[in-house]
This record gives sequence, C-alpha cells and structure tokens, in this order.
Amino acid sequence: MNRRLTDGQFAWLLMVPGLALFLAIIAYPLVSALVTGFFEQSLVLPGRAFVGLDNFADLLGGDFWPVLRNTLVFTLGATIAPFVIGYALALALDAGLPGWLRGVFLFPWVIPGVVVSFLWLWIFNANYGVLNGLLGTHVSWLGAPATAMIAVIVTKTWASFPWMMVMLLAGLQTMPKELHEAASVDGAGAIRRFRSVTVPHMRAIAGIAFLLEFIWNFQHFDTIYVLTGGGPAGATKTFAVAVYDTAFKGFDLGHATALGGLWMLLLLVLMAFYLRKENA
Amino acid sequence: MTATLSRSVPITRAPRGRRPRSRAAAWAAVAVIGLFGLAPIYWLVVTAFTPDERAFTFPPSLVPTELTFDHFTKLADNEKLFGYLVNSVVVSVVTAFLSVVVSAYMAYAFSKFRYRGRKSLMHLVLASQLFPQALLLVTLYAVFSASGLLGGYTSLILSFTTFTLPLCVWMLKGIFDTVPSTLMEAAAIDGASRWRTLHRIALPLAAPGLVAAGLFAFVRAWNDFIFALTLTDPDRQTLPPGLVHTYLGEFQTAWPDLMAASFVVSLPVIAAFMFLQRYLVGGLTAGAVKG
Repeated sequence: MNRRLTDGQFAWLLMVPGLALFLAIIAYPLVSALVTGFFEQSLVLPGRAFVGLDNFADLLGGDFWPVLRNTLVFTLGATIAPFVIGYALALALDAGLPGWLRGVFLFPWVIPGVVVSFLWLWIFNANYGVLNGLLGTHVSWLGAPATAMIAVIVTKTWASFPWMMVMLLAGLQTMPKELHEAASVDGAGAIRRFRSVTVPHMRAIAGIAFLLEFIWNFQHFDTIYVLTGGGPAGATKTFAVAVYDTAFKGFDLGHATALGGLWMLLLLVLMAFYLRKENA
Repeated sequence: MTATLSRSVPITRAPRGRRPRSRAAAWAAVAVIGLFGLAPIYWLVVTAFTPDERAFTFPPSLVPTELTFDHFTKLADNEKLFGYLVNSVVVSVVTAFLSVVVSAYMAYAFSKFRYRGRKSLMHLVLASQLFPQALLLVTLYAVFSASGLLGGYTSLILSFTTFTLPLCVWMLKGIFDTVPSTLMEAAAIDGASRWRTLHRIALPLAAPGLVAAGLFAFVRAWNDFIFALTLTDPDRQTLPPGLVHTYLGEFQTAWPDLMAASFVVSLPVIAAFMFLQRYLVGGLTAGAVKG
C-alpha cells in the first residue's frame, strides 16, 4: 500500500504528529518569546512597540542580579544536597541491603509536587508546625528571608534525592565486582576502593545526573511558588517565579520575555555541556 | 537504550557486603536518610487522620492519640473538589492516550529507519525537555488565547502530551530497538505493508512499553501545576491548582483537610509507580545514555 514511499518518507510521515506538537508547543513559543523581549507589550492589551534593547537594559540595571543570585543559590543547594544524600543512599543500598528499600525511598519523589509543597508548608508552619514543635520554638521559617531559602532548598532536596539514588544505583550496579575484589586483594581499604574504583567508574553517570538535576532546578517553579511565592521580600524569587510574575501578575510581556531570554542564554550554556556529555 | 537495558542488569553479582561492618554502616546510613525521607510522609498520614482540635495544638503530639475519618468524608462531600478530580482524570487519561500514539510512531521512526536528519532530530527531542517551561508558558498563553483554546482542556492536553514526548519517545525507541529486524523483514517478504508491520507486529510486541509510557504521561499530567494554574478557567482546573485555590490563602488553612486531600491525590500516582518500578531505571536513564 505504501510501496511508493521510500523508507525515509515513511519515517517522516510517522513523525508528523510529534513534530507538529514540537513546533506548536515548544519551537514557536520559544522563538516568539525571544522576539517579544525586544518589544513593549502587554499580556492583555493588543498592540506592541519595538523598543530595542530597552527591556534588557532595564533588567541588567536592576532586577536581573538578585534573581540570578537567588537562582544560583537555590540551584546549587537543591542539586548538591540531593546528590550527596542520593549517593550515600545508593552506596548503602548497593552494599547488600534488601531490594524493597529502594521502592520505599521513592515515595518523596513520586508524590505530586504540590503535595510536597503542602506537606512542607505544614511542617514549617509557625504556629502549629511539627518542626517548631520539636525545637520548642515559634520561628516563621518561610517568613524570614534568611530561613526561607534554606526551607525551600530542604523541600526540593526531599523531593529530588530519590531520583539521584535511582540514577546512581543504576551506575553502581553496572560496576564489575571483580574490580573491587582485585583492589581488596591488593590491600585497599573501603575508602581507598571508593576513591580509586567507584568514583572513576561512576564519573560519567554521576556527572550527567548532577547536570540534569542542576538544569531542572535552574528552571524549577512549583515548590518555590507554593511555599513562598518568591518572597519574603523577593528572597526566593528565581528566574521561573520572576518571569511568571512579571507576565501573569504584572502583565508585562516585554520584560517577562526579556528576562526569559537572559535566562535561556544561561541555560543554553548548561545544555551545551549536557549534549557534549551525552555524546562523549 | 539497548545499552541501558543490558547495563542496568547486574553483570556478575556475587553477594555483596559480606563483611558485617560495612553492612552495619549501610544500615546506619539508611536509617538516617530514612528519617529525613519518610518522617514527613508519616506526618502527612498522621495529620490526615487527626481531629482538628488535636492538630491545632502546640506542641503537636508525634504519636496520634485520636483518629478520625472526618477529613476524608468532608472531601467526598465537596462538589468543587469533585469537579477538579473529574478535570484531572479527563486531562490525564486523554494525555496518556495521545502521548502513547504520538510517541510510538515517532519512536518507531527513530528506531527502525535510517534517514537524513534522524540523529539531529533525536537530539532535539531530547534537548526540548530542557527548555524553561515558565518561559514557554508566557507565549503559549498568547498562542492559545489567539486560537481560542484558552480556558478548556485542549490547551492542557496538547501541552502535556508534548512535554511527555522526550521521555516516552526515548523509552519506546529502546523497546523497538529490541524487536528483531528479521521479524519485520519476514513480514515484508510475506507481503505485509509497512503500516501492517508496524501495527500488527511491532506495536503488540512493545505493548508493555506502551503501557509504561502511558502511565508516565498520565502521571506527568496529573502532577502538573504551573500549566493547569494558568491555561484553563477555574472550573476546568485540575487538582493541583484546585487544591491551592481551595485551601491556601485562607486566614487559617485547614491543614488536616489538606493533608487528607494530598493523601488521596497521591494514591493514583503511587499505584502507577508501583507498576512502573521495573521500567523506572531504564526509562530514567534513557535520556542519560546515548542512543
């Protein structure tokens, strides 16, 4: 029936629905966003005016820097902490503990992001929260700039460490057992074997897991938005929250997409790393 | 992905940790991380069954002294929440179906044919999951607004389907890669068209993978917050933004009610993942290993 089509044409035909979705939902909005950054435009009013680099100049003269700082602090914290916890857990589970434990640890990662946020809002609650109950204090963890960022990082860490564990455990399980045995015979202790056998073997998958988590955190929205909404006083306002608020609360599409453009630029650098690692 | 599957199978697995000392250290690490990982879950469940007057006392009692099902019966009587539930089910189920169809065709094209542009397209699909969704959302809002799709289910379903493609396509490509080409050549010799070969041979063989991809897409749609919050009218919103509107922003949040709702919302996702466990490692690492 399709004998007239070449294999290549048939393959492209199969990809039409997927490619159409990519064009409509990802490619076009992305290009359109990058262009809109050069215009003064409202979310709700028609019409727009070309303003050149004005939006970018506004941002670089002010808002961009605190947002960049917050994003970097959040991203580093919420990537390093789950990485360390996930690695420790993967090593422990790989040391011959029962397999069902892995499944138990997946719960924090599996439950919906808003549920994670609700749960930690309740734990951090100033009046009745269990954290204050344990400490005998009445600290408003999410209400003070100094603690809000830490609280948001703890929450995101809790939701992400299981994924790290799964990735790193997969890496550990591919490690040939003989390497450890040989090192053991040669008199290497546990720490020495970890450094000289495990770490080099895990470098590739650990690097990719870390980088992917970094990229995801760099654009994370849900937890921060529900926990603090970017506050207090902008202390947890990251790129995702700032772009969202500028567009949907300030109705200022020009500045929102200009900020998004700067954000994309930083992401592209990260993505270049990721794709290079993929092909390495 | 073939590489991934074979790699995630332990190669030569002699019993590990025979030394009791390393086993003890491992249990100690699991205990500490377990406290951090599971105590909050315990607290969610306990709060969901605690009567209001006991939940709003300070300091809270770590062990429940009184249990109640009131919060769950209250949920069942709440018509607004039921509306959000219906929206969640509709959006997630349709997304799952659509995502399986679109990603299966695409994955098959990536797996079984060789043509110009294949490799770059595969990388593009993979990279597309890394674009910031908050930014896409800003202009998608305008796109859906202009096309009259804003406010309904369609905008959500189309968006979620697209965002599930990278994972689903890569997972299914891995599965199609394991279907022997000789089977398809045999079908071609018997006179089957390429469509027939795809639908009668490749898809049935990939059925477990199709189910897994569908569940992943279901979970993605079920859990989303930012798109559901923004692209639909309040009466078309799914549970995540629905719960935020219902419970947060009041003077005093009804925490036990909210924990009960959180418990219920998490159940379908937990069930899906119990089924998905064995696909999990392969699917997760698919994006991380070159194809």
